Amino acid sequence: MATLDGSTIIGESILISGGLSGDEDLTVRGRVEGTVTLTKTLTVEPTGIVKAEVQVKNCVIAGVVVGNVTASESVELTKEGRMVGDISAPRVIIVDGASFRGRVDMGDLELPRGERPARPAARPALRAAARSAEAARREEKPRAEEKAAPAKPPAPPAAVGIGAVKRKVVVRRK
Amino acid sequence: MAAIEKAAAASRGAHTVIGSSIVIDGEISGDEDLVIQGTVKGKISLKESLFVEGSGVIEADIETANVEVSGQVTGNIAATEKVELKSDCKVVGDIRAPRILIADGATFKGNVDMEVKASKGK
Repeated sequence: MATLDGSTIIGESILISGGLSGDEDLTVRGRVEGTVTLTKTLTVEPTGIVKAEVQVKNCVIAGVVVGNVTASESVELTKEGRMVGDISAPRVIIVDGASFRGRVDMGDLELPRGERPARPAARPALRAAARSAEAARREEKPRAEEKAAPAKPPAPPAAVGIGAVKRKVVVRRK
Repeated sequence: MAAIEKAAAASRGAHTVIGSSIVIDGEISGDEDLVIQGTVKGKISLKESLFVEGSGVIEADIETANVEVSGQVTGNIAATEKVELKSDCKVVGDIRAPRILIADGATFKGNVDMEVKASKGK
């Protein structure tokens, strides 16, 4: 029962410390410390303790895991599972009863918000409209000022400096 | 025949199996039978039996009660009971155990020490 081909089982009394890598399913009932790198599924059974940096495709935790788990597909913490560490996987399942402390990273959640590009496209249009409106207002104001400005110099001739008076005199002569 | 024996040994009481695609670089210790079909580098210390199957490759020092080798072992083997080198195995290293069996067809290079001290001086 225990020996199906293509599956690895770490028994209850076994302690592995160091690096463990492989291309098949791994079931841990004992202890593994170090690093675990698999291209398939890591199953930590209730008696299993894994203190390692884990990189796998799928991870099912019913025992204890201390360390960061990176899975290319999913990480599942069952009701008996206890974990301390960070999880990075597109699918993370934490069942009622499981205990977990750490961060969860399911990847870029912004990707599904594909509508975003549409909004910025709409906003610039609004902004542009607003800008043009503002610009129009700004243009109007300067124009008003310009209109007001030329009217001012002739108004206070008395306050103008001596040079200006000379010029005015020249103008008057012409 | 050897293959049948191997399969029987593997399925009998073994709780721990290191599959053929698994590579372990480090230490393995425990109190139960261990079947190795994959690769182990480092050190193995068990209180029970170690089975190195045909596909198993070990580059490690081994300390156990019993060892059955059908695969490749590079390293020293110290057993408190028995070491059995099956046919088609390749072993390089020293063997120390009270009982050592080398089958016809086995390849072995190293020293053999069958002194009873081996079992006493655990």
